Amino acid sequence: MIQGVVVMNDQGKPRLVKFYDYQPVERQQELIRSIYGVLCNRAENVSNFIRADSIFGPDTRLVYKTYATLYFVFIFDSSENELAMLDLMQVFVETLDKCFSNVCEVDIVFNFNKVHTILDEIVLGGQVLETSSSEVMKAVEEISKLEKASNSISLVPKSIPGWQTR
Amino acid sequence: MALSGMRGLSVFISDIRNCPNKEQERLRVDKELGNVRTRFKNEKGLTHYEKKKYVWKMLYIYMLGYDVDFGHMEAVSLISAPKYPEKQVGYIVTACLLNENHDFLRLAINAIRNDVIGRNETFQCLALTLVGNIGGREFAESLAPDVQKLLISSSCRPLVRKKAALCLLRLYRKNPDVVIVDGWSDRMAQLLDERDLGVLTSSMSLLVALVANNHNAYWICLPKCVKILERLSRNNDVPQEYTYYGIPSPWLQVKTMRALQYFPTIEDPNTRRSLFEVLQRILMGTDVVKNVNKNNASHAVLFEALALVMHLDAEKEMMSQCVALLGKFIAVREPNIRYLGLENMTRMLMVSDVQDIIKRHQAQIITSLKDPDISIRRRALDLLYGMCDVSNAKDIVEELLQYLSTADFTMREELSLKAAILAEKFAPDLSWYVDVILQLIDKAGDFVSDDIWFRVVQIVTNNEDLQPYAAVKAREYLDKPAIHETMVKVSAYILGEYSHLLAKRPGCNPQEIFSIIHEKLPTVSNSTIAILLSTYAKILMHTQPPDPQLQNQIWAIFHKYESCIDAEIQQRAVEYFTLSRKGAASVDIMAEMPKFPERQSALLKKAEDTEADTAEQSAIKLRAQQQTSNALVVTDQHPANGYPPVSQLGLVKVPSISTVDRNSEDQGVTQANGTLSVVDPQPLEPSVDVLGDLLGPLRIDGPPGAAAQSDHNLISGPEGATYVEETLALAPVGDQTNNVQPIGSIAERFQDLCLKDSGVLYEDPYIQIGIKAEWRAHHGLLLLFLGNKNTAPLVSVQALILPPSHLKIELSLVPETIPPRAQVQCPLEIINLGPSRDVAVLDFSYKFGTDVVNVKLRLPAVLNKFLQPISVSAEEFFPQWRSLSGPPLKLQDVVRGVRPMSLAEMANLFTIFPLTVSPGLDPNANNLVVSTTFYSERTRAMLCLVRIETDPADRTQLRMTVASGDPTLTFELKEFLKEQLVSIPTISQRPATAPPQVQPTTSPTALSDPGAMLAGLLH
Repeated sequence: MIQGVVVMNDQGKPRLVKFYDYQPVERQQELIRSIYGVLCNRAENVSNFIRADSIFGPDTRLVYKTYATLYFVFIFDSSENELAMLDLMQVFVETLDKCFSNVCEVDIVFNFNKVHTILDEIVLGGQVLETSSSEVMKAVEEISKLEKASNSISLVPKSIPGWQTR
Repeated sequence: MALSGMRGLSVFISDIRNCPNKEQERLRVDKELGNVRTRFKNEKGLTHYEKKKYVWKMLYIYMLGYDVDFGHMEAVSLISAPKYPEKQVGYIVTACLLNENHDFLRLAINAIRNDVIGRNETFQCLALTLVGNIGGREFAESLAPDVQKLLISSSCRPLVRKKAALCLLRLYRKNPDVVIVDGWSDRMAQLLDERDLGVLTSSMSLLVALVANNHNAYWICLPKCVKILERLSRNNDVPQEYTYYGIPSPWLQVKTMRALQYFPTIEDPNTRRSLFEVLQRILMGTDVVKNVNKNNASHAVLFEALALVMHLDAEKEMMSQCVALLGKFIAVREPNIRYLGLENMTRMLMVSDVQDIIKRHQAQIITSLKDPDISIRRRALDLLYGMCDVSNAKDIVEELLQYLSTADFTMREELSLKAAILAEKFAPDLSWYVDVILQLIDKAGDFVSDDIWFRVVQIVTNNEDLQPYAAVKAREYLDKPAIHETMVKVSAYILGEYSHLLAKRPGCNPQEIFSIIHEKLPTVSNSTIAILLSTYAKILMHTQPPDPQLQNQIWAIFHKYESCIDAEIQQRAVEYFTLSRKGAASVDIMAEMPKFPERQSALLKKAEDTEADTAEQSAIKLRAQQQTSNALVVTDQHPANGYPPVSQLGLVKVPSISTVDRNSEDQGVTQANGTLSVVDPQPLEPSVDVLGDLLGPLRIDGPPGAAAQSDHNLISGPEGATYVEETLALAPVGDQTNNVQPIGSIAERFQDLCLKDSGVLYEDPYIQIGIKAEWRAHHGLLLLFLGNKNTAPLVSVQALILPPSHLKIELSLVPETIPPRAQVQCPLEIINLGPSRDVAVLDFSYKFGTDVVNVKLRLPAVLNKFLQPISVSAEEFFPQWRSLSGPPLKLQDVVRGVRPMSLAEMANLFTIFPLTVSPGLDPNANNLVVSTTFYSERTRAMLCLVRIETDPADRTQLRMTVASGDPTLTFELKEFLKEQLVSIPTISQRPATAPPQVQPTTSPTALSDPGAMLAGLLH
């Protein structure tokens, strides 16, 4: 089971936090800090895997991947396959990329609600829900249409150029 | 403009981003929270849009790490909003903020259910997502049937159905009763025929959860899983959108193989063959390519296939192929694959027969200890630790020691612990073990726990041969300029005990030893000073004749510490001062420590505990777990062998309480405060067996070979009657109406086990019960190995011991269920209270399918197990024999109907029991004189003497005289020997245990000859 999905930037600021087992807010922050503590010490060209026993309890692992200024982290137990988790993360990122055409940190910051929507189409209750990014896109577009239909304000997928720079 | 579609939210987010520091951020957040709170309080006039905006802000604030303790109601209330955007926010934010037990969530159950059963599919999706993420027991009870309906509905879109599958999984986890197995297994099988890969992937996750709990109900899904794998691996009918970097849905392949690992085996040969074809194709057809994502995907499938192959216990050829692949992986450039290669090789260690092939990669694994990635280094360490055995311990431990100097700080503790454990477990010789531990302390003293140095002291104390060596080594380390405090402790302890063994070496006279140790005193802590004081006292005691100069120096130190603020040091100083002035009177008290009672290494125990902590879920891991926990059971019992637990290293030997009492006038103080540990002097000779023979699992043979099978058939044919009779004869209590026939003769197996300490006690088509025993004096530790030979569990397993009155037997807990193909170990502790030939009976029963099997088995805890051979010389024998003058201590009997055998055969038989044949004591070549020691709690160690007179003309009769200091023992031993001689178990297949030479001494010897004396005594 996937226990959590965390996106944070290279300063350790959380950009998306989703746990599939309830964690009180203090614990969430503690977990994010511990993960960041481990990740920021990782060299380049090393594996994407870390045993997370000391952070999450026995038998937990995490995979992470850096995309530009962001760390994507999946936390899961031994019932999942590490590389498959890495693939799923790639699907998540590719979907974000399609959604925001060339996603960057700022897109995720200002559209964190949309990122939640996308993630909910990929992972449900800690299980893999959908692995095809085009299927995910279809579902997300459908939701956008519904939002548009009842909301005069449009969903602009691209950010304002001035906000692009960090 | 609003990126999120809400201007207020975007403004708030950019405000937060513009905060220069945490302080400002908090101020901005507090302001916003205040604002939101006011708006919520004044709910009238709040539009759904505004509510939505505020609720998103709350989630954002929550993500930043601030507690949001209000507004939950508003979030939940949005769930029943009529419009999609508000409803969606309500669902998403509620799922993030609330936990399953939140009261507000309960209030929303109805609204959520309305969405689930409503017609609007997008609403259904939202509701299923929320329930799948945070639904609890109450949701399970009220929603499960609706969710099941959606999952199997043919009119629902796949988008809804795949969510329903995972939602049901969550509800099932919360309350397993919501899935009624009976009806559901067929439905589940139908779901696996699904064409849509999204629905199929979710359904497979559901199946994994179901089979993990109860695979028996889902056998019909197994062939379907294999079909799915075939379809994917052939890329049949896999739509483009489910092909990920050219690999047909790697997730579904992985999940399907995961599901298969929860089935204990695959019995149908066709299914098995198809599966192995697929697996073979995956194993052979995967290459490392340039594209990282493609690599990850193809190897995700490959590693899962490897796990499945391991689980299925493929034939050796395929296993070797897997190891070869893994060997390739641990050397590739891709760090992820190196990592998983090492991890899977570690798992592979669980598979029998491949360890040797894995060892071929040892050099590469050792190289991985230097990998730039700490994750990989850790995996390499785990693997080296797992693959270490007696054959490669030296290489591996020395590598670890070398690596210790350069290892990351974070790894050193683990590394030193592992090195210490391996050194102890697999030491080829004890001096090497001492070397390793001292090096360890030298290189990483900070990480060496007390357990480690206590253990080395115990082992040195218990091995006289080792003591001079350890003392030399300890002395050498003291010459180093800066040594760790632990090294000071261990060296001081060892030199205190054994430095007198080095007296003749240069630099090792008492004065020199004292000086070099005393140099360290100013730099060490109080606990070490206490040890040093003991060392000084010991040095003083060993210096004979006393060296007045040394004496004065040491007394001055004692005197100085008599007023030390640390009570322990003060007490030692006072006591040692007084004791050492007593001269010879103190020798006894200050003598070398007696051997430690054998006990389990605290270190090994610790290692096992941590291993058992990591509970893992998958099937392979379950097996691995069984192995560790079994080891745990065994060793848990091991130290409880009736020895008193001695938790600390006492430094001063107190021979017995009475000694202290005798001198109690001036020594009363020594008993206070427990400074002097009273070590119970056990009349035991603990051989230091660091490994503990019992740790090695007894190999239980697999199912009987064809030959044995046909034998069995023969027996159950015309001779079936005698067979049953035999079983009955062995079951003195109760009647046995078993349909299940034992394999082999229970009686023969028992007889065999009376003469040896390991073997099979009982076997039938379902179970094999093996025994391994260890006897020491009147204690015994008997391990029962209950091995389930089948692919289904044995249930209602019960084992009762019906002990005779002279045996105290404690059986550890026997699990009620023995998992398929698993072996469970149950230790039995036995204490022999007195001599008796009565036999303990194991009343064992279990259920397999409809067969209830109950057998009553004699346990080979028989009289001769408490015998130990002892050879007596003529000088010892005759006075004893003479003093035991007649009944009831000495009994004579004529035994008839003896199975004819030569005298050498008989002597051989006695040696096996074990009795010691003393050739030459009896002048008559046709007679045997035999001695042995019998141990029981009542009699303690008691010498038994036996004389057998045979008649070469008639080998079927003999005269036997038995003598011992206990009438019951004499009688029981005599009867026991009679039984053995009359019905002799087959011993022909036993390896010849050096037949004692019974030399015919023909010449009539002089009266001074002991034999002649014996003859005189006997007649």
